[in-house]
Amino acid sequence: MSARREIIAAPAGAPDPSQRGSPPASPAVRACDFIFVSGLTAVDLQTGERVSGTTASETRVILGNLKQLLEAAGSSLDRVVKVNVLIHSMLEAPNMNEVYARFFPDPPPARTVCGARLPVGVKVIIECTALA
Amino acid sequence: MTEKLQRTAIAPKNPLLNASRAGNLPHVPGIRIGDYIFLSGMVPVDPATGERSHGPIAEQVRITLANMRHMLESAGSSLERVVRVHVVLADISHMAEMDRVYREFFPTDPPARTAWSMQLRFGNGCEIECVALAG
Amino acid sequence: MREIIAAPFPGLDLRQHYGHHQSPAVRAGGLIFCSGMLPVDPHTGERHHGTLTSEAHVVLGNLKLLLESAGSSLDRLVQVHALIYDSIEYDVLNRVYRQYVAHGPPARTVWTAQIEAGFKIALDAIAAA
Repeated sequence: MSARREIIAAPAGAPDPSQRGSPPASPAVRACDFIFVSGLTAVDLQTGERVSGTTASETRVILGNLKQLLEAAGSSLDRVVKVNVLIHSMLEAPNMNEVYARFFPDPPPARTVCGARLPVGVKVIIECTALA
Repeated sequence: MTEKLQRTAIAPKNPLLNASRAGNLPHVPGIRIGDYIFLSGMVPVDPATGERSHGPIAEQVRITLANMRHMLESAGSSLERVVRVHVVLADISHMAEMDRVYREFFPTDPPARTAWSMQLRFGNGCEIECVALAG
Repeated sequence: MREIIAAPFPGLDLRQHYGHHQSPAVRAGGLIFCSGMLPVDPHTGERHHGTLTSEAHVVLGNLKLLLESAGSSLDRLVQVHALIYDSIEYDVLNRVYRQYVAHGPPARTVWTAQIEAGFKIALDAIAAA
């Protein structure tokens, strides 16, 4: 029997892809050994509203949400294997890194960071792959 | 000691969609490894001619995702088995248009996705890659 | 479970040299997920800025060292994101890259991105363990 994938729904209150105006992406998908998490931007999980701030503050919001999402899916930040961070400017990488280091316990996952053009007002997007 | 996974290259049934071969490029259209298939980034190519197809962004996204469907199906997988998508747009303002077409291909229970903008080659409006469960 | 792969040579420990909160690579589920590889000297960690060609050789050489230390190899690469600073260097990238993946290249997507420290190239790779 071929393997199946399972959609990980957003924690209660968070936007879901079937809602108008939400991007067509599930927050995360579990398939075999891994959970594939969508690129997250800083949103308030209660209201679904975008939270604009500095790269550091947006990183904090995103990683707090990621922690909740992974734990709701039976995983955790210490089961993350790889993270991709897209920043609007690489000048902000140290600020992102300082906040990031507070969330991921030792030893941290693998990571790639690069600068890219992000949606207007978005300072940072973080996606990851974690062990289920 | 657990057995090492073997990787195999996948190819589209339609050879005109094999950009690796057509361009003599150092990659393959995709790799199957264990439970997964990892695809190389795909760009808008007319499946009838193999030529670049540069119309409005909606058309480019539609062609690219249709080609991606073909690629996955050639390898025994499908869009329904996609777990993660990366969408890169040349122009970030095309996001809404891209979303509209994207929904046609992933109408329910869409995979995880990250979408952003970067400079793309050859005037391509989009480049899309994915990871899917093998068949 | 996931297994952290330590830097095989001290220069590849970017956390120690640059404070990057990341491990060089992680093995899980039969795959090895590598952190974005940069053109640094594998012994000293010193940045080796140069042409795209020279930087690509350093990056691919480093990736080879890392994967082989983990029991894998460039021949077992599954997917690569090749980050280059400007798409005009696409052909130059290919000229170097193909030398390292001659025996069955992996899937690849080229990203034109801003890379740290003004580097011209970085490679993000997943390999089979």
